[in-house]
Amino acid sequence: MLPYQQRYIDNVRQIASLSDLYAITAPDFDSWYALLQQNGAALDALKAENTALLGAHLFPLMDALHAASAEDIAALEEFAAALMDWSTNLDCGIYLLIHESLLSLARFRRDRASIIKELYMVGMGLYYQGRRLLGTKCAEIDAFYFRNEMIFTEAGSYLQFFHEIDDEQTKGYIIRALANIAICTQDLRRRVGISQRVLQIVQDPYYRSMAPSLPWDVFLRRTHQQMSSNRAMLSRGGLSAEELSAVLESCQVVFQPESDNDTPNVRWLWPYYEMEYSCGFVDLSTTLHRMQRLIDMHPYDQYDMSGLYANVQLPIYYGSLVRRNPTLAHRSEHIRFLAGAYEKMMRVMMSCPSASFTDFFFYLVSLVVTDYYETDGVMSYREVTTALMRRLSGALYIRSQRVGEIMRCLSRAIVRDESGFFDDIDFLRALTDPVEKERAVTEYAYECGLYHDFGLIKMNFDRLCHSRALLESEQKLYELHTLSGHDDLASRASTARYADIALGHHAWYNGAGGYGTRYVRNESPYRQMTDLAAIATVLSEDSPLSAEERIDAVLAQEGRRFSPLLTSYLTEDSLKRQIAAILSRGDEASCRAVYKDLWGNQSDGKKEVKHG
Amino acid sequence: MNDEIRVLQAENEALRRENNELREKLAEAQSENLAKESFLSSMSHDIRTPMNAIIGMTVLAKKHIDEKSRVSDALGKIEIAGSHLLSLINDVLDMSRINSGRMKVTSELFSLGDLLHDTLTIVRPQADARGHSFVFEAVGIDYESLYGDPLRLRQIYVNIISNAVKYTPEHGEIRVRVWEETAADCCTLCFSCADNGIGMTKEFLSRIYEPFERVRSSTLSGVEGTGLGMSIVKKLIEAMDGAIAIESEPGRGTSVSIRIPLRYESVSVNTAALAGKRFLIVEADTVMQELYRRYLDEFALPYRIVTSPSEAVSAIAEAEFRSERYACAILGRSCGDGTDVCSLASYLHQADGELVLVLISDRNWAEIEYRATRSGVESFIPIPFFRKSLINGLDEALRTSGGEKLSPGAPDLTGRHILLAEDNLINREIACEILSATNAEIHTAADGREAVERFEQSTEGYYDLILMDIQMPVMDGYAAVGHIRAMERGDARIVPIWAMTANAFAEDIAKARQSGMNGHIAKPIDVNLLMQQLRQLS
Repeated sequence: MLPYQQRYIDNVRQIASLSDLYAITAPDFDSWYALLQQNGAALDALKAENTALLGAHLFPLMDALHAASAEDIAALEEFAAALMDWSTNLDCGIYLLIHESLLSLARFRRDRASIIKELYMVGMGLYYQGRRLLGTKCAEIDAFYFRNEMIFTEAGSYLQFFHEIDDEQTKGYIIRALANIAICTQDLRRRVGISQRVLQIVQDPYYRSMAPSLPWDVFLRRTHQQMSSNRAMLSRGGLSAEELSAVLESCQVVFQPESDNDTPNVRWLWPYYEMEYSCGFVDLSTTLHRMQRLIDMHPYDQYDMSGLYANVQLPIYYGSLVRRNPTLAHRSEHIRFLAGAYEKMMRVMMSCPSASFTDFFFYLVSLVVTDYYETDGVMSYREVTTALMRRLSGALYIRSQRVGEIMRCLSRAIVRDESGFFDDIDFLRALTDPVEKERAVTEYAYECGLYHDFGLIKMNFDRLCHSRALLESEQKLYELHTLSGHDDLASRASTARYADIALGHHAWYNGAGGYGTRYVRNESPYRQMTDLAAIATVLSEDSPLSAEERIDAVLAQEGRRFSPLLTSYLTEDSLKRQIAAILSRGDEASCRAVYKDLWGNQSDGKKEVKHG
Repeated sequence: MNDEIRVLQAENEALRRENNELREKLAEAQSENLAKESFLSSMSHDIRTPMNAIIGMTVLAKKHIDEKSRVSDALGKIEIAGSHLLSLINDVLDMSRINSGRMKVTSELFSLGDLLHDTLTIVRPQADARGHSFVFEAVGIDYESLYGDPLRLRQIYVNIISNAVKYTPEHGEIRVRVWEETAADCCTLCFSCADNGIGMTKEFLSRIYEPFERVRSSTLSGVEGTGLGMSIVKKLIEAMDGAIAIESEPGRGTSVSIRIPLRYESVSVNTAALAGKRFLIVEADTVMQELYRRYLDEFALPYRIVTSPSEAVSAIAEAEFRSERYACAILGRSCGDGTDVCSLASYLHQADGELVLVLISDRNWAEIEYRATRSGVESFIPIPFFRKSLINGLDEALRTSGGEKLSPGAPDLTGRHILLAEDNLINREIACEILSATNAEIHTAADGREAVERFEQSTEGYYDLILMDIQMPVMDGYAAVGHIRAMERGDARIVPIWAMTANAFAEDIAKARQSGMNGHIAKPIDVNLLMQQLRQLS
């Protein structure tokens, strides 16, 4: 690897460590805050350095890639490999950029082996990048997944030239790409079909004999693992007898080595149990008790894959089973267990050291944000996700608090001037006492600020934003945080009232710009609060401008980007002073709150429990 | 005496005849008067009803101007009433033209495929909105170019099918069939529309062509319509020397058959551009597959039908390395696996930029054109297609995509001028080689300063595109664009300038836009993506 590449990788690792607020230990707030500020300055410098390193070395090389030497390209590939080791994934975006460029080059040169390899590499990059989109549905994401599937399909389609290709490594990419078509496709039945075909190929002596050095048995085991992940189809139905038996067989194959193991990997044990439930071999009660046993037998601080699977993924599955079976016998007992499992799950997520923040860990974070079952008697979704935001996206949490502060300040002035301003919102309209109403409006406004960028939690953009400037392709994904945040917030009672704010805070008042196109201002009762969030977001962005200049910039876009009903308040001197005060006092107040959250609440163990 | 009697008898007879005629005329006048009164009465009712909604809802909206949901509701109702009123006025005007003899049906050459496609794009969404199963069949079509009045024919067909949609309870079935019966130089265009809707009584059927007649039903409320449609349809069909027949049974449904004689023109099928070309057809619909086979086999054109995007990608990879490339991919009505056709087009275009993509769809081209063309689709053939429209459509697509002179897939930019500013010699040579496939005249500059000078020295409007590298010695791309945009000449602000850069940060691309560039090409250049963007200029 070239020196700039090594430097970049070292920086990314250091950024991951410095941006973890939990990793900063100090005896009191002042020294903790001093360390935090030092880290912040170091993070800014590292980000600037990384951005400059890519600008000075990587981009010029890619600019003249056609003239690059074989050594340069080999170093580039080595760099890309170090950025993505399929486990920690230091920088998927740059990995993808490099391989997309190499694919263009390979296509231009009509170099078949390179095309196959680069298709596989690009497919893997897209797959890992796409994991942050879990649970969000829109045309852009469908197109993203479709492209991912087609990339693997194209690489896999070279199977028809297997006998012509001499290089066994290239043959390996073909087989792996074929198998990976299944992980991108959204249609479970199609997944089953693909895995079935791959199982035939990897066991076929014809193919094996043409590439004897390939790890065929590993391919076989992994394909069985992939096939076992289609077990949800067993309960949905629609499989032919042949397909059904293929899934059953794979669950058995995956289960077998774990069944005799004293410390089985739950990840491969559970599919078999779930298959038994889906086939009616065991009932729901037995299945839930099996889950309970697996969850209980893993200590919270077991951060390997099996431990994380048992302590995070299984409680989420447990919740799904309870949700899908509303008439479950002894439901209250199961809810009690679920509440405990969720608390343990959160303990795992909060205490997991940043060294264990693998790609699998972030996948589990997405799973929790997407599939958490909020019901009476368990921690509210609001509390769970706020804790995750603090733990995993500390900078986002602090920035969101500042947005909340500005929203609180502005909303107070507005509601004092016109008490019914936010009365399109049902729960605010119901309040008649002016004091009570002002309190409710300002508190709600603050919370809206806290949740406006909710979608970024599971998209895990915080660390990326610390590492370097965003790529154009990442910017497009980043903009989907409005949609992602909205969909997750809207589907839970404790957070539904923040959903429209998450969706619409980047949309323009006149609809002519911004993003979050699904937001229709006139149809949202929360539009006035969303307008307020749009202003507060821009005012609180990191910027060299003074408070006065920021306010002027907002006023300059009055009636277009920002609501004129709200910008009119920004001309009041007293309010300007208050906003300037919030911006000028920096983030100390927010950090103090974070510090209290991180270290203060840990000891008393208070939990907000949702009650109907 | 007898003569006088005869004369008197004759006069008497004449008077009687006159009296009878006068009586008949009086009755006729009275009847007409009655019809007019009835017409006016019905009209005033039918006009007043939507007007009431418009006026009443406007007042309500003004009264509750701050309540967005009520205002929105009122505006929605005003919109419906307004469009109903417009259709009523159009129908009344048509009736008036017909009754006064001012309605003339034209006889012009038209494409039956286009007529049916236009009809379907109007009625299919209506049927979908009510959850109907809508089946359309066009069989035995030998003559696609006919003489007639396509606008009035469409009006007739839309009216009949819309009635079927309206008077069939949700999730019903509607089957439309079109066929031809030919003899000598004339063919009869036959149309039938059958539904399983509420049907009509015999008594109502006898009055169906009278103005303002509408079926009243307890199972369907709020059916929109002027009640003039069938009167107009009947008159139009009569004006075309055609015939209409209706069979109906209450609760069972209605079947309408229309036969209209039309002259036809035999149009030759062009296959010059198709010789030696291979076609890849992505179509999961077996009925459509049969049509492709029938027409392509007739002209012995080699093709392969695949039923899913993955099979298509696989077939293209196979063809690429067997050096048996497909000239054209036909993206059919159903590309399999619920695929978005534009996503598939985009992928195929990137995988093989030389492939000509033809979209065959029953959707309205105007609605999908923007996305489809940007995904690489070069040509559109509407459904339903027939022998001539399919073969000529493919021939046209392959001819316009470059023919012999150009590399397939490259847009024809003959006569256009492109200024390429690029400091790296190899990149410049590669870009020139790629761009030469378009037949555009390429001028190069080795840095920003040279690019500015070249533009300055050119006559106004000479350059159609400037491709600008960002990092260049002497003057970088941003500064060069700044100089060009600031020049005092008519084309300085409008000439398209696209950044060509490997700098992939969002802020770099935003900076390029802010500096005055209006496009971006990532480096290393992806040939197919570049061609896709260049197509904007063709």
